[in-house]
Amino acid sequence: MTRPPSPACGNWPANWAKAPERHKLVGSDGNGRSKMTRKQRRMTMIAAAGGVLAVAVALILVALNDQIVFFQSPSDIVGKQLPDGQRIRLGGLVEDGSVERGMNAEVRFAVTDTVESVNVVYVGLLPDLFREGQGVVAEGVMKGDGWFHADNVLAKHDENYMPKEVAEALKGKGVWQGED
Amino acid sequence: MIIEIGHFALILAFVLSALQSVVPVWGAVTGDRRLMAVAPPVAGMMFLLVGIAFAALTQAYMVSDFSVVNVVENSHSAKPDLYKITGVWGNHEGSLLLWVLILVLFGALVAAFGRNIPMELKAATLGVQGWVTAAFLLFMLATSNPFLRASPAPIEGNDLNPILQDVGLAIHPPLLYVGYVGFSIVFSFAIAALILGRVDAAWARWVRPWTLLAWMFLTLGIAMGSYWAYYELGWGGYWFWDPVENASFMPWLAGTALLHSAIVMEKRGALKVWTVLLAILTFSLSLLGTFLVRSGVLTSVHAFATDPARGTFILGILVVFIGGSLALYAWRAPMLKQGGLFAPVSREGALVLNNLLLTVATAAVLIGTLYPLLLEVLTDEKISVGPPFFNLTFGPLMIPLLLAMPFGPFLAWKRGDLAAVGQRLYAVAGLALLAMLVTAWMEGAEKILAALGVGLAAWVICGAAAEILSRARFRDVGLSTGLARLAGLPGSAWGTALGHAGIGLTLLGIVAVSAFQEEKVLTIRPGESVEISHYSLAFAGLARRTGPNYVDDVGHFDIYRGGVKVAVADPAKRLYTARRMPTTEAGIVTFGLLSQVYVSIGEVHADGGADIRLYYKPLVTLIWIGCLVMSFGAVLSLFDRRLRVGAPKPAARKMVAAGQGAE
Amino acid sequence: MTLWIAFSILTVLAALAVLVPLARSGRDEAAVAALHDAEVYKAQLAEVDRDLDRGLISPEAAQAARTEIARRLIAADREARQTGSQTGEAGKAAAVARLRLVQGLALALVPLGAVAAYLAFGSPDMPDQPLAARLEMPADGRSLPELVARVERHLADNPGDGRGWDVLAPVYMRMGRAEDAAAAYAAAIRLLGSDPRRETDRGEALVVANNGIVSAEARAAFERAVKLEAGAVKPRFFLALALTQEDRRDEAVAAWRALLADARGGEAWAEAARLELAKLGVETAETAAAPAAPGPSREQIEAASEMAESDRQEMIRSMVDGLDRRLAEDGGSMEDWMRLMRALDVLGERDRLREVIARAGEALKDDPAAVAGVRQLARELGEGS
Repeated sequence: MTRPPSPACGNWPANWAKAPERHKLVGSDGNGRSKMTRKQRRMTMIAAAGGVLAVAVALILVALNDQIVFFQSPSDIVGKQLPDGQRIRLGGLVEDGSVERGMNAEVRFAVTDTVESVNVVYVGLLPDLFREGQGVVAEGVMKGDGWFHADNVLAKHDENYMPKEVAEALKGKGVWQGED
Repeated sequence: MIIEIGHFALILAFVLSALQSVVPVWGAVTGDRRLMAVAPPVAGMMFLLVGIAFAALTQAYMVSDFSVVNVVENSHSAKPDLYKITGVWGNHEGSLLLWVLILVLFGALVAAFGRNIPMELKAATLGVQGWVTAAFLLFMLATSNPFLRASPAPIEGNDLNPILQDVGLAIHPPLLYVGYVGFSIVFSFAIAALILGRVDAAWARWVRPWTLLAWMFLTLGIAMGSYWAYYELGWGGYWFWDPVENASFMPWLAGTALLHSAIVMEKRGALKVWTVLLAILTFSLSLLGTFLVRSGVLTSVHAFATDPARGTFILGILVVFIGGSLALYAWRAPMLKQGGLFAPVSREGALVLNNLLLTVATAAVLIGTLYPLLLEVLTDEKISVGPPFFNLTFGPLMIPLLLAMPFGPFLAWKRGDLAAVGQRLYAVAGLALLAMLVTAWMEGAEKILAALGVGLAAWVICGAAAEILSRARFRDVGLSTGLARLAGLPGSAWGTALGHAGIGLTLLGIVAVSAFQEEKVLTIRPGESVEISHYSLAFAGLARRTGPNYVDDVGHFDIYRGGVKVAVADPAKRLYTARRMPTTEAGIVTFGLLSQVYVSIGEVHADGGADIRLYYKPLVTLIWIGCLVMSFGAVLSLFDRRLRVGAPKPAARKMVAAGQGAE
Repeated sequence: MTLWIAFSILTVLAALAVLVPLARSGRDEAAVAALHDAEVYKAQLAEVDRDLDRGLISPEAAQAARTEIARRLIAADREARQTGSQTGEAGKAAAVARLRLVQGLALALVPLGAVAAYLAFGSPDMPDQPLAARLEMPADGRSLPELVARVERHLADNPGDGRGWDVLAPVYMRMGRAEDAAAAYAAAIRLLGSDPRRETDRGEALVVANNGIVSAEARAAFERAVKLEAGAVKPRFFLALALTQEDRRDEAVAAWRALLADARGGEAWAEAARLELAKLGVETAETAAAPAAPGPSREQIEAASEMAESDRQEMIRSMVDGLDRRLAEDGGSMEDWMRLMRALDVLGERDRLREVIARAGEALKDDPAAVAGVRQLARELGEGS
């Protein structure tokens, strides 16, 4: 007998099989359908568990392949050709003096890691703590027009908190001196 | 003096918890009744001591005693009294104290109300509860002591993080913690059963009510947190698959599975070993949630404690408790005796399917939550796993669960007849199909997914209603007797129906909002109007308003429908003066109890105009109403104090007539 | 002392929670766990009967349930008979040893452990310090922050007290709370009206709060100040700085030159202005010798803002001296005198402040209302007579 691989799902069929008084009960199915033996029942359960697990594993693998978003700093993407339509999270500082507000909540700004900077366009309300010179993460797609089209912008959430990826990316560049 | 008494009481509680960890368990293993008898009074005493500590800290917040470091860092004299109290747990140290307070409260409850629990089981359970208490009290005293003093005392505090100054968030952590920590009792029961090497009938009886209680609070806590995020963050989102949300959602999923397997164990004596494992896993996920939130390893809107020393310590607690309990399980579980037997198609089989899907879904959420952390540790690559991942993995796993849900309560114990149950669900399926067609007809074929979602929700809700109606047997006994039967139905039957209907309502809300909500982002000037759905919003302009510890720029909108003014919305940009921190206060107006118009203000322009984000969210409140209905079902089920046993049906053909009376 | 009595009571209670149950003798024999199961099952049987009587379940279902319970009951019974209690003499001796050990632990560990840990972490000598009680203490020997807290409290109750904000704002500046100072000046301007001093000070507070960068808001404040008092040096200084920061070189050079034209010589701000000019690559007679270091604009800005901050006090002082001289030579309005008084208050020059109050009283003696105003301010500044 092979047990399903996950410990979270693998115990009940095996343990159930150890039940002591099973023989008396098996086969008393009152519906006149074909009677199931103990082994058949066990196999049914294992097949169900295995089926669900296989589907889940497949879904997770597909999702991990397609649906995750990589974090990049401006230096990571400037001058590189990203696959068309690939979503990324772009993190860095909002460049001083780069914020331009257009009509109907359109806003353009540059995200910089002090080495390179990327122009971002975003339509929507910026978070409360979005400020020039502060850490920011923009999620979206780099388009052919050279602008990063963000559909979600996150700012640091309080005075002491900076998005973790941003802090580390900037630390890598030797800019941010947070207390550690 | 009061503060120092609180501090001393906390230390004393730690010393007692160390004794509690050893003495009763030793007594239980050696069969020494005197040692076992120590557990209940010590559990009560620990509750008293931690209660004194908590009261002392609360008092320090109330009178703004800035000689306490914790008060300086998280309070301000100008803060409203309510937020002075809630500020106690709006920070790392205080929230841990609340966590431990609830932990010892549950210990004391078991001590006080567990008279009919066998003595060994009770002593071992309280002993295990003592281990958890000791670990967390040590963690507090060593790394996060809320009673440290500042000398000289500053004259003013730093204020509570403004985003936490909100009624919703004030009651969210206590609810959540009662949920999290409530599972600790089930965990302690499970570990005690493993130590003693036997699962008593009493164990089976006790697991379900405690799980129900914890699950109910966790449901409310998650719903509260979701509603808070909805109105406070100003994005109009109610669930972000944020790691901290997942941290509370995973114990909920596992707890839901536990709730169902506990039913099988209670009524049929089966699935004991599996239930023990689920109890361990559920509390382990609660501990993991505490770790994720408290250690600050995550990038998240909720992270308000970041300290590597704390992270390491709490990781140690996590490893010891989860690793230790799973090892104990591997060693002792084979010794536990198995219970009843059942066919795959039966009530038990349905509950097993529920457990299977829920645990696999929990695993999917766990992977999505931890994968970014693991990947970063292993490869230094930074990724984010967002809603698309969870929609693709969690969603499909829920569909068979929801499809199977109405079948479960109709199936007989031990061996059921799927075809017969299917016949009884024809009407329900018809209603679901009708809902689907009506939606498709009204909204057009391109919203086919929405129509399917509405149909699924209708299937679940009507299925729950059908179960209750069939128990009343109106057709056989007439209206008045039927109503009497309805009133006389056991609480647990109502609990099941309301729990399932609540899921359906929440699903309906989610589908309606995802498919039919309208959103507009625009700049509006005073005197201008904007249309959304059937409503027209006229912007009157911005005005300044001063609150106790903040300044508001309030935008005033008059909402018209068909030319008649029906409501006003006052969204605001708020600046908390002590921390110079801005927040967004959304203006939300509910129409017909279910649908909402949601306005939030962004950038304010020099000409008095403002960028606004405007939503019409149909049926959005159903998301949280569903959670309330589920919790209410749990209450009804909880008050069903009858001893319960499930028996197989005497004869298959008589199934309908015999009813499900023995439940 | 009370503290330690409270500690003792808690410790005794805690120890008793362990010792009392230990002291009770084991009343009955160790129960066999399986008997508990039998109890539960018997209770369940009774429950089924009750449900049947109330008509909650059908007789068939009740019978099925009974069968199920009976099966479990029999199994539990069988198990109970197999396992028996086995407490021998050796067991009793071991039990006594365990009892003594636990009693010893409770007696020793509870008080000693708790007190030792408390002495390591606690602060037994520190009393509670509720804020209300601290603020009610007599005023003598109070620290500046406490006085500020008191004024803040007053203003929280009377937010319409413009003078209060006007007094508080410079104090905030001195405490380094520039943002609060800016907000306080804004409140004073709203309540008492715009005047060059308040606008300038508010602008300055905004600049300091913004790490030396002249923001658009600050700039607007300075512009209003200049409009109200064309010759004022300080707002023009910051406006020139703003032009420098915006890299509008030609305009900046013109602004600095215009500012320097008003210098009488020796003022600190003039020195700073020359330095700025030097950085812009313009040599004035005085700075010809100083080397101009070209560098990236960010560094310039930082240097400039640092310079502005360290020289701020000096700048105020030079302005005070100028105002004082002017008032001494050709008299002045009540507002001028009051401005001087406030400035001296900010600088903390109490002796000179008293002297100026006396001179103001002399100079304004023909105008009783003005004298009253000066006296009033003098009282506010703590120099009442």
